[in-house]
Amino acid sequence: MSDPKYYAGLDMGSVSIKAVIVDERGMIASGLIPSGGNYKTVAQKVMDNTLTQAGLSFDRLSGLVITGLGAAGAPFAGRQVSDISCQARGCSLLFPSARTIIDIGGQFTKVAKITPEGRIADFLMSEKCATGSGRFLQVIARILSVPLDEIGPLSLQSEKPVEFSTNCAVFAESETISRISEGAKPADILAGVHRAMAAKVAMLVKRLKLTPDVVLTGGGGQDSGLAPAVGEALKINILVPEFPRLSAAFGAACLAREDHS
Amino acid sequence: MPFAGIDIGSTMTKVVITDEQEKILASHIGPTGAEHRHLALKVMDETIKKAGLSFDALDFIVATGYGRINVPFADKQITEITCHARGIRFLFPTARTIIDIGGQDSKGIKLDADGKVSNFVMNDKCAAGTGRFLEVISETLGIALTDMGALALSADGFVQISNMCTVFAEHEVTSRLAEGAGVAEIVAGLHEAIASRVVNMTRHLGIEKDVVVTGGGAKNQGLVKAIEGKVGFAVFTPPEPFITGALGAALVGKDFYDRGIRPAKERKKEEVTFFS
Repeated sequence: MSDPKYYAGLDMGSVSIKAVIVDERGMIASGLIPSGGNYKTVAQKVMDNTLTQAGLSFDRLSGLVITGLGAAGAPFAGRQVSDISCQARGCSLLFPSARTIIDIGGQFTKVAKITPEGRIADFLMSEKCATGSGRFLQVIARILSVPLDEIGPLSLQSEKPVEFSTNCAVFAESETISRISEGAKPADILAGVHRAMAAKVAMLVKRLKLTPDVVLTGGGGQDSGLAPAVGEALKINILVPEFPRLSAAFGAACLAREDHS
Repeated sequence: MPFAGIDIGSTMTKVVITDEQEKILASHIGPTGAEHRHLALKVMDETIKKAGLSFDALDFIVATGYGRINVPFADKQITEITCHARGIRFLFPTARTIIDIGGQDSKGIKLDADGKVSNFVMNDKCAAGTGRFLEVISETLGIALTDMGALALSADGFVQISNMCTVFAEHEVTSRLAEGAGVAEIVAGLHEAIASRVVNMTRHLGIEKDVVVTGGGAKNQGLVKAIEGKVGFAVFTPPEPFITGALGAALVGKDFYDRGIRPAKERKKEEVTFFS
């Protein structure tokens, strides 16, 4: 019997850099570090950490696929694939019933319709306005001094979500300050932000014609309050991967594996 | 016979008092703040004092601007579109197109040959193309908002800012800085972006000469020049762009008075606040 083979996916996003290593059966190691100002150094570090976790050396990898906004600056040679293709591959392996993927990242929100084989059929991206993206949440969470990973649990405690009169993240920032001074609770403000984002995301999804099942991934999937809000806006149940921020890197690793099979 | 106009904008409250000859007797500007009503009265009192009048001597008070409903002592509330048009036509009788760049919104107003509003467009949905855009970025750059225009004018060309969204543009600016672009050229690029946004919006109405740029944005020479570049000819700016809405409001009040309309109810002057 030949030696087991290993493949890696590296996702160089604007907020964090992620690496996943798979063998023939599935994910065996993963790493995630905030991108910071030097993508190259951070990418090297994430890859080193992930290899250590898997007990492997870089030479033991039979294939590498690199994706994400910063893919061109990767310190390794590997095939470059668009993040949405990797996301589609990853999500369709995790959820074979997935037909629509919503990827809410730090800067962009992408919506893709995928075929039963996990290929992209149609694709839309919101890049003109921060409201539908993770940036909106970051802006508001900063005012409230709520760490990003506490946004979801806190928002789920809301009893009366704040209704924003604006869809602009900048104006919502000033509105948030007014609401705080009027006594609004942080939970209600965050739940209001989720609703505003969900409305914007739902608009994108509907432009592609809603096709279930819908998977929510990216940093937005990490936020436990956002998926229910999107689900409510679309009136369907939303699936979320166990590690929503790793699904593109996982898809990249799986594409690397397919390259060699 | 004195007439007062009060314009409660998102950022500043402006009051102008004129006489029956349409001569400006006094004007005053103060911050709007969170407690509109309290501050509205304060700015009004200051202006009355400057004019050497008493509150009861005012024959008509018109309130305008987005906070106009919070002026309990006003005799009428009139939209800022009408008031801007009246004020600008008074200053520039040949004006046909007005571009008003405020702290949180921007408007394009089209006037017919008689100076009546024939159409308008407004952006209050998004910070792009408003004073807020420059305010946010000036904070990021650590440059005083009032210095931004002059800095833009000193630039050697400009750096293209491709993001319309203020939040993304802020990020783009820091990236361009990190890449070594000059601050003046970046600031010039931001002015180009705002000018594009407001001029494209106003184009929906058809831009006709003369064009007057007003509101806080008209104070910014860099922005006025960028707008001229987009429309292709020189535009006019009022000597005091902040107060054209309040001036128009005072004149609209005089128009009412001339038509025999008198203040109906007793003016409420008590200080009402949101938080009391």
